[in-house]
Amino acid sequence: MHTQKKEALLEISELEAGFMINKQFYNAVDKVSFKVNPGKVICVVGESGCGKSVMSLSIMGLLPKQVGKVARGTIRFQGRNLTEITNDEYNKIRGKEIGMIFQEPMTALNPVFTIGYQLEEVLFNHLKISKKEARQRSIELLSHVGIPRPEKIVDQFPHQLSGGMRQRVMIAMAISCQPKLLIADEPTTALDVTIQAQILELLRDIQEKSGMAVMLITHDLGVVAEMADEVMVMYAGKIVEQGTADQIFNDPKHPYLQLLLEAIPRLDEEKDRLYSIKGIVPSIVNMPKTGCRFVSRCPKAMPDCSEVSPDMGDVGFEHKVRCLLYPESYPKEVTEASR
Amino acid sequence: MSQTTTPQLPPTVSESKVKGTSPWAIGMRKFFKNKLAVTSLLFLIIMFAVSFSADLLDTHDPTKVDIMSINEAPSKDHYLGTDEGGRDVYTRLLHGGQVSLTIGLSITVLVIITGTIFGSIAGYFGGWVDSLVMRFTDYVLTLPFLVFVIVVKAIFVDTGVLTLIFVVSLLSWGGTARMVRGKILSEKENEYVLSAISIGCKPSKVIFKHLLPNVISTIIVQSVYLLAAMIVIETALSFLGFGVPANIPSWGNIMSTASTPEVIEQQWWIWVPAGLCITSTILAINFVGEGLKDAFNPKSLR
Repeated sequence: MHTQKKEALLEISELEAGFMINKQFYNAVDKVSFKVNPGKVICVVGESGCGKSVMSLSIMGLLPKQVGKVARGTIRFQGRNLTEITNDEYNKIRGKEIGMIFQEPMTALNPVFTIGYQLEEVLFNHLKISKKEARQRSIELLSHVGIPRPEKIVDQFPHQLSGGMRQRVMIAMAISCQPKLLIADEPTTALDVTIQAQILELLRDIQEKSGMAVMLITHDLGVVAEMADEVMVMYAGKIVEQGTADQIFNDPKHPYLQLLLEAIPRLDEEKDRLYSIKGIVPSIVNMPKTGCRFVSRCPKAMPDCSEVSPDMGDVGFEHKVRCLLYPESYPKEVTEASR
Repeated sequence: MSQTTTPQLPPTVSESKVKGTSPWAIGMRKFFKNKLAVTSLLFLIIMFAVSFSADLLDTHDPTKVDIMSINEAPSKDHYLGTDEGGRDVYTRLLHGGQVSLTIGLSITVLVIITGTIFGSIAGYFGGWVDSLVMRFTDYVLTLPFLVFVIVVKAIFVDTGVLTLIFVVSLLSWGGTARMVRGKILSEKENEYVLSAISIGCKPSKVIFKHLLPNVISTIIVQSVYLLAAMIVIETALSFLGFGVPANIPSWGNIMSTASTPEVIEQQWWIWVPAGLCITSTILAINFVGEGLKDAFNPKSLR
C-alpha cells in the first residue's frame, strides 16, 4: 500500500460538505480524508444518514445547487482539484473519467428514450463517434453486462425491463467510456437478493477485467466482505475506522464496527432476537460539538468520550481508528497537556 | 456476471412489436381509440382545410362593398346571404376562418415557446433564477389584459393582425410558464436527471433533451386548450372592436355586426353561421384536448 501512495487516483482531504438548513450550514460530511488507489475496490459503509451519499455526490459535483455545497477541503482526481474546476471541465470528466451508478434503477433511466438512445448519448457526449459505431458499441456494452438478446433490448424502453436488467444497463452506461473510477451508490439496495449477487459478481468481473477503481457505497456488510479491498466505516459524517477488508472483519477496533459485525446473524448460532444497536444517528442539526459522535450509543463510553474529540489514529499497518479506547486516537494537544 | 452464465432466452414473438412501445406510440394508440376525439380531430382538419383554401372556394370578394344588395337572405348567388355592406357572408366566413385560426395558432405557438423556455429555466435552476423569472411572470400576469390591449390599440391606431398576435402573446405566456415550471420542478427530482448530469450533460441538454420530453405531453394538452382560448379571445376582442381591424374579415368581426337587435332578430344568416363555426371549432378542440389528456395519462383505463 505504501508504494501506491504517490499515484492515488482520487485523493480527498479534509472534505466538508453539507446543507444549508434555515440559513445555517451543517456538515453532513465532516473532515473526511481518504485515497482511492487505481484498480482497487474501496467500500464505504455506514448506516443511513451518515454522509455516504453526500460524499459520493460531492465527488461527482451533483449536490443540489441551492442547498448543498462543498464547504472546505479538496477532491483531487488525477491531480486536479475538482472543487475548483468549471462546469464545462466537470462535464468532460463526468461519464468519461468517473462513472456513476445510482441506487434506483427504476428511476435512473429516462422513461421516454430507448435503452440504446441513452447508451449512445454517453458515447456522443465524450467520443467522436458515428451513429452506426455508437449503436454497435451500445450492443456490445449490453452483452458485456450480461443482457441477453442485446440487439433487441437496445430498442426497448426502460419500462419493458426488470429492475436487475435496468441496473445492468446503468452499469453499461457508467462503464461505456472506460472510466478510471466507478462510483456505485448502493447499487444493489433496490434489488432482490439473487439479483444483488449477480450484479455484484458483474461489477467484480468488470472491475477485474478493466482494472478501474471502484468506490462502492453500501450499508450491507455482506456486500463489503464480497467486494472490498479497502473499507471505510463512516458514522455521522466522520470516518471512524479505515483499513483493509481483512483488518476490518477480523480485527475491528471501533465499538461501532464491533457492534455492527455482531448484529449480523450467523447460520451456526441460535438467536431469539436479532441484535441491534440502540439509539439512532444524531441528526445533522443537533450533532454534538465536542467529543465522540457515537458516545450516546457506545457501550464502552468513558467520561473523556464526551469531552475530547478523537482523531484518526494508526493502530498499525495503515489500520486507522477514531476512538479514545486507543491511545493513538488522542488528539496531540490533549496528550501533551496531560503529561 | 458474464454473458456465459446468462441463459440465452429463445426469441419470442412479441419482439416484432418492439418499435411501437414508446410512451408516445402508446399514447397515440389510446388517442385513436377515443371516437369522440378522433371525430373532433377530423372535423378540425376539415375546418382548417376549408378555411385555408378560402381563395379557391369563395364566390365573391370578401371586402367588396355592394350597396345594391345589402342584407339579402341566402340565395343561389349568395349561399349565406349578404351583410349590411352587401358583402357575401359565405365568402367572409371562409376568409374569416382563415384569419381567426391563424391568429389562434400563432398566439398559441408564441405563448407555448415563451412559456416553456421561461418555465423550464426557472424550474430547473431554482434559487434566485427561479425567483427572478417567476416574479417577472407574476408581473406580466398582473397586467390587466383588456386595458392593456385597448391602450396598445389606441397608441398604434392603424395596426394590423401582427400587433394583435404580439400583444396577446406577450400577456398570455405567464400561465404556461407557471405550469411548465411546476412540471419541471417535480420531474427534476427523478434520478435520471442526476444520471444525465453524471454522464456529462450540460444544463441546456438536461433541460431540453431529458426533462422536456417527459413533460411534453402536458405541454401539448395545454397548447390545445390554449388554442381554443385564443380563438375565443380573438373573437371577443374583435367583437368589442379592439381585435382584428374592421376591414379584415374574421369570425369575431362577423359576429360584431350582430350587435343590433334587428340583425339578431331578422338577419340570422349574418351571425348564426359564424357563431356555429366558432362554437363547433372550440368544442372540437376541447374534445381533442380531452382525448390527448386521457391518452397521455398512464392511469386512464381507455
